[in-house]
Amino acid sequence: MYDAPHTERDVDQQDIKISARKVQVYYGTTHAIKDVDCDIEDKTVTAFIGPSGCGKSTFLRCLNRMNDTIDVCRVEGDISIDGEDIYDKRVDPVQLRAKVGMVFQKPNPFPKSIYDNIAYGPRIHGLAKSKADLDEIVEKSLRRGAIWDEVKDRLDAPGTGLSGGQQQRLCIARAIATEPEVLLMDEPCSALDPIATSQVEELIDELRQDYSVVIVTHSMQQAARVSQKTAFFHLGNLVEFGDTGKIFTNPVDSRTESYITGRIG
Amino acid sequence: MSELKQHIASAFDRDLEGIQAQIMKMGGLVEAAIMQSAKSLETRDEELAELVRRNDAAIDALEESLNEEAARVIALRAPTASDLRIVLSVMRMSANLERMGDLSKNIAKRTGVLVQMQAIGGTAPSLRRMAREVELMLKDALDAYIQRDEALAEDVIERDRDVDQMYNTLFREFLTFMLEDPRNITACMHLHFIAKNIERMGDHVTSIAEQVVFLTTGRKPDEPREKADRTSTDADLAPDMDKDGD
Repeated sequence: MYDAPHTERDVDQQDIKISARKVQVYYGTTHAIKDVDCDIEDKTVTAFIGPSGCGKSTFLRCLNRMNDTIDVCRVEGDISIDGEDIYDKRVDPVQLRAKVGMVFQKPNPFPKSIYDNIAYGPRIHGLAKSKADLDEIVEKSLRRGAIWDEVKDRLDAPGTGLSGGQQQRLCIARAIATEPEVLLMDEPCSALDPIATSQVEELIDELRQDYSVVIVTHSMQQAARVSQKTAFFHLGNLVEFGDTGKIFTNPVDSRTESYITGRIG
Repeated sequence: MSELKQHIASAFDRDLEGIQAQIMKMGGLVEAAIMQSAKSLETRDEELAELVRRNDAAIDALEESLNEEAARVIALRAPTASDLRIVLSVMRMSANLERMGDLSKNIAKRTGVLVQMQAIGGTAPSLRRMAREVELMLKDALDAYIQRDEALAEDVIERDRDVDQMYNTLFREFLTFMLEDPRNITACMHLHFIAKNIERMGDHVTSIAEQVVFLTTGRKPDEPREKADRTSTDADLAPDMDKDGD
């Protein structure tokens, strides 16, 4: 007989997956991220919370170089995944994004069949040698996306014909089809109803066994429900970063307290 | 902790203020119950004792309403951090206050019996002084709660030692009276229960003061205190029964 942890949030310390040091982001002359140091653990859900415009999405997008696509955006500092600098010139952003998958706020399935939505990534990255291989990847991804049972009989139907919650789980399945190591989610549930939200949250918790998941959310209750670590951003600063249980019961910084208790910050 | 601003949702502030106002009201009723029960004992005032017994229903009703309100705030507002600690501390404090009300009521009941008997030395005034000390501790604990004054709460916790020592002294006195004359035994047993009740009330006040520390800091008070009430563990606290045999 061993002592069970008091809550499921008492997770073991995991290895550092992503390490960010002195990260600065500028949009033109606007200083959007100021001197952020942050270690994100493997096999852990890390939530980024903070008011609109605080920089949490910007910082999330630094982690798979999505900011490269914005001309006026400039990123400084070091971000490494498993010790490798992702901003190194030799790193191919496309390969990086296969390793660091992303799910967006609005479900955005390709206007293709459910099967092709999942198969697209593995195909362009050459992950499947045969049709049978591809079939297996599609089934496995849809199963891990917790949507297999709902779509297995209509894999040829368009992905856009699914409900919002199903589309989002399809997008998550699509993101994990390339076997990423990190999954970034930018408000993945804000367009979903409470039932679909619960399903996605349950999925996030299952994905934690294999991936490092980073989720940006405006719902503090969602951050409290799904994450083990929480980072609070405010005006481009990482104000507080720690165990979710601690952040929501006894935060150190008064700005964190004001934000999570719904006071004017 | 820095002074927190108001919530964006002002109804949330009103909810929290509401339950805190109720706990203060409850605290006021309990303060009165402690003093009135001790006074009724000292002045052998049966009417006052009866009043204490009747007023306990109001304390019980407040506890029930507080628990309902607290549950409602948790369900509807999902409080976090210091807000959550307010709700949790109010629920625990209301349980402490309710027990203190019961203990006062029990003192008042025993007063009803004791007025039929002869007074035992100067023990009634001693009990009243002890009750007065507990009542002051409660007042300070409630002030510390409202002012979020951690230092005052720590002071209250410290003062419980004095109450424990007063109890030890009374315990010895009762034993002496009982040894002197077995006819004192019935009264002394009642008086001893009263002393024990007051000592227990001191423990409840300590628990309330600990809630204040929890509320302001998010932590329990640092060290477990050594109990000063040693009557249950030390045999030599009792008067020397072999004295005559020496």
